[in-house]
Amino acid sequence: MPAWLMVLLRSSVLFVLVFFFIRVLGTKHPAKMTPFRFVNYAVIAVIIGLLASTAIDSFILGLAALSVWLVMPFVLDYLELRSKAVHDLLEGKEAIIIKQGKIMEENLKRARLTGEELLRDLRAKNIFSISDVEFAVLEANGELNVMLKSDQQPLTAHDLAWQVTPQTEPQTVILDGNILNDPLTELGLNSDWLQTELVKAGVSLDNVFLGQVNSVGELYIDLFNDAIKVENPSVRQALFATLEKAQADLTSFSLETQQEQAKAMFARNAADLQSVLDGLRPHLLR
Amino acid sequence: MTVATQLKQTLVSLKGAQATLRLYEQLSRQQEVRHAYQQALQTVEAVVGDLEVRTREIESQEPQYQGS
Repeated sequence: MPAWLMVLLRSSVLFVLVFFFIRVLGTKHPAKMTPFRFVNYAVIAVIIGLLASTAIDSFILGLAALSVWLVMPFVLDYLELRSKAVHDLLEGKEAIIIKQGKIMEENLKRARLTGEELLRDLRAKNIFSISDVEFAVLEANGELNVMLKSDQQPLTAHDLAWQVTPQTEPQTVILDGNILNDPLTELGLNSDWLQTELVKAGVSLDNVFLGQVNSVGELYIDLFNDAIKVENPSVRQALFATLEKAQADLTSFSLETQQEQAKAMFARNAADLQSVLDGLRPHLLR
Repeated sequence: MTVATQLKQTLVSLKGAQATLRLYEQLSRQQEVRHAYQQALQTVEAVVGDLEVRTREIESQEPQYQGS
């Protein structure tokens, strides 16, 4: 067999083999691999390179070596799933770097991380002052994860004891001027509804690059022509304002009316509307 | 502006709000949100009912405001 044909054949076979192997092994990001896994992949790459270029004479011998490096990851994956001890041994264990606001120098040294590197990793997470940190862990893959002190953590609606309306994920219903029907049905809407909304906004479908509907049924659109201004939906705010105005009207009616019975009726309804406003505030304004 | 026209304006805007609330109730997928809209709808309906009664009263007392 001529040498070129040999190289061609081997390369093709290996290409298919590696393609399927990578597919089966999963979609872990290279940057999140443990050093051991990285070495494993490197060895596979080298063996394949040597085999394909016929630097290893015997294809069978090469495949034997390759098979070990291909099969072992699966075996190890299985063992890791089964046993925590094996998992810690192979993947490494996370190290606590900062605990109760104090740096654990011992662990830092064991992880071979200098103070400068620790500061750099913190800065990468927008933390410039070590006094903001309550707890920090160096994961086995070298990533630093930080828990801030409770007074430094971002404010949430929960902190403010604000009730907010539960929102599900928005659906993209228009892409490149085409209506996507599946997301629309997901929301319980149809293309007729979409056409009506577009007419309301005063734009034609082929001028829409992207259209999204949120869980409240509001359509947000982005046009190809950015010179045209589209109004973003504000129906919910308007509804709240209408109710607020009606409530104020009722209060003033109750003050103006002379008739006792009507006065009481207006006052009662004003109070009722106020409770409606309070109940709807999270859904309409937040 | 007379009391009767003011009252009618409020009534109309509340009816508009009622329609919007009904729409949102239909669009809401979560039980919790739907319930909030339903409750608001019920209250607004009751208020609208009271106001309608009051408008009719005023109209019968002072017929010159009828239809205005």
